[in-house]
Amino acid sequence: MPGAQASFACCDRCANLGTDRPATVVGSGGAATVARRRLLKAAVSRRVTGSEALRTTAAAHPGPSGRASAASAAAGSGTAPVPQDADSEPADFADVAQQPRTVWGTVYDVSPHVLVIGDVGREQRFILTPDAVAWRGHLMEPAALSHGDHVIIRLHPGHRDVADRIWANIGRVTGVIVERWGGTLLVDEGATRGQQVITLHPSALGRIQVRFPTLEPGYLVDIIGLRDGEELVGMIPATSQPAYPADSMPAAPLVNGRAVGAISGSATWHEPRGEPAGILGVDYPALDPETGCAEDAATGTREGFARLPYLAIGSVLRVRNECTGLDCLVPVTGCASIARLFNDRCVTCGTSPRGRIADLTLASFISLGGELERGCFNVTVTIGE
Amino acid sequence: MILTAISEVQIPLLAAMLLGACVAKLAQVLKAGGLSAAFGPTSAFGPTALFPVSMRRPVAVSISVIEFSLGLGLILTAGNIGGHRPAEAFRAATCLFFVVATCALVELRASRPDLGCGCFGDFSTAPVSFRTLARSALLAVAAAVTVQLGPIVMPPLHLSAYAEPLGILAAELLIIGALSPEIGEGLIRLGYSEPCELQTVPSGRTLTALHRSRQWRRHATLITSSVPADIWRELCWRYVVFPASYENRPADLVFAVFLKYRRPAIRAALVDSATGQSLPWPEIPTRRRLARGSSGALATPAEASGPVPLAGTPPGLATSPTAPVLADLPISTDV
Repeated sequence: MPGAQASFACCDRCANLGTDRPATVVGSGGAATVARRRLLKAAVSRRVTGSEALRTTAAAHPGPSGRASAASAAAGSGTAPVPQDADSEPADFADVAQQPRTVWGTVYDVSPHVLVIGDVGREQRFILTPDAVAWRGHLMEPAALSHGDHVIIRLHPGHRDVADRIWANIGRVTGVIVERWGGTLLVDEGATRGQQVITLHPSALGRIQVRFPTLEPGYLVDIIGLRDGEELVGMIPATSQPAYPADSMPAAPLVNGRAVGAISGSATWHEPRGEPAGILGVDYPALDPETGCAEDAATGTREGFARLPYLAIGSVLRVRNECTGLDCLVPVTGCASIARLFNDRCVTCGTSPRGRIADLTLASFISLGGELERGCFNVTVTIGE
Repeated sequence: MILTAISEVQIPLLAAMLLGACVAKLAQVLKAGGLSAAFGPTSAFGPTALFPVSMRRPVAVSISVIEFSLGLGLILTAGNIGGHRPAEAFRAATCLFFVVATCALVELRASRPDLGCGCFGDFSTAPVSFRTLARSALLAVAAAVTVQLGPIVMPPLHLSAYAEPLGILAAELLIIGALSPEIGEGLIRLGYSEPCELQTVPSGRTLTALHRSRQWRRHATLITSSVPADIWRELCWRYVVFPASYENRPADLVFAVFLKYRRPAIRAALVDSATGQSLPWPEIPTRRRLARGSSGALATPAEASGPVPLAGTPPGLATSPTAPVLADLPISTDV
């Protein structure tokens, strides 16, 4: 049985943005690129006070500031934009002090009141309140965690040394089934993430097959489970399986009029393979095909089921968790080539009106109040801030 | 008499529907680039989704062949060719075909409500609705009333002789049109214009439009490399950044090009590479100024030296209030 590929670099996802650009820009997922593009966009979008010529242009064409376009569309004015103020800067990213913070590490010691992660001499201690809950395949007391468990800890927003929620050894595989041997699946997660092996836990097999009835090559699968080395022991179906095989996605419905700036749908999370741990970002399903994204070439599909406005690495989205009300600005750091194949619905709090429109990094998902074992939350994404 | 006329109209109508459905499926095959791609084992095509994956392609091909055979048979046996028995057989088979199709659509609607009926290939992608079921049932009834019909004789070439069947045909076409979701789909496709946010516009076209623009001609002298340092797209705009030089300092010249095929709006801004602040445009010699220069008139200090930064601000962060209006705009447009 072939093993899963292990190492992939984040910057490989969109290494060629369509031009022969210098190496400083090639690592397009980097924060420097995101900041630089925001700055340049703000510079060229800025309104010039007293410039009648620019006003004429703005009246004829929606401004480069997508927020202005969205505002004008919402107001029903068609093309008249609401230009940004001359002195206004782009909207700031969320204050991380107000967002749940995430910490990664390996359990060194645990007691009913204190959790210690890290190595000898580099420990980090977190207080465990009576409300703190851990997950390792199922919900459990944090004291039941074991030495060596790889944990993701959501800290209390107001107390940086208090653990609010803990996930141990959690992993997720989302992709297209390549092969199946009994209860073991080889799943292709895309060109830059490679192939992953899922072993379906015998006790979870029935539950998974209710949501994923066709565990056959060519069909999509999305399973959350426990990491065991390179393998994932499948425990929970993250969502429902689309009825179609990955290569026979139904034609996307036609979109009339202007594509609005705020889109509601479902947001999922992905493991940080190749990405820096703790990065706040989002993989977006509709990156400009001209970016030469490696995932586009690999999947052969440029359009997802949900037709979304084209963006690029570095574009900024305001993502609002409709289940918790939390929102923050996150930059686009990659292309969600697999997520766009899913025409599913998130039912965490009501049914999302659209399929997957954002594939968040772990840190972003947790920061927005998402519960990893649930797999998704309903979200509204505002483009162009 | 009127019932006979109605029955006679059904034969060409049913034949046209069957042959049209067959042609639409053939067009789908040609569009997909082959039979295996259009009716592949993994593609669900209308009622074929009710069958196991391995049987879907043969079932799809069989449906198309049956439609073609019945359509052709109805036309060939409409007159007196072969006697009454073959005509009766084709008409009864057509009735049976539409009855089975109606039942299959009911089943499809229950088990796969997301799928279209696939009756007219790519056009029938709307989920099966009561309209689709009613149309299929109507065609089954239309086929049933023709079974006992005798040979159809062409009426004499006289306008009054054709008025009645043409009127019946038009009325029935209207009913079928009202029951066909494909009509609405076709009209949408004909008048569809994709929003600019969803249009795929090649970067090369954007660069070509930029190179032809007045903005480019005005600012190209600042550019130090013809290769863009960065290019990206956001919604309806594509941003192109060129390395530039401003008063011997590295700068970025950024263009925002609206993604439109003809005469797109273009904006430009000059940004200091080190500080990230917008820079004023270098002074552009105007015709009047050139004329004054040639006539020997002295230029003002501001005109002679270009924009002067305000005292107390780093170079490039502010513009002189005495600078010409054109020079102190950190942004310029092409319209």
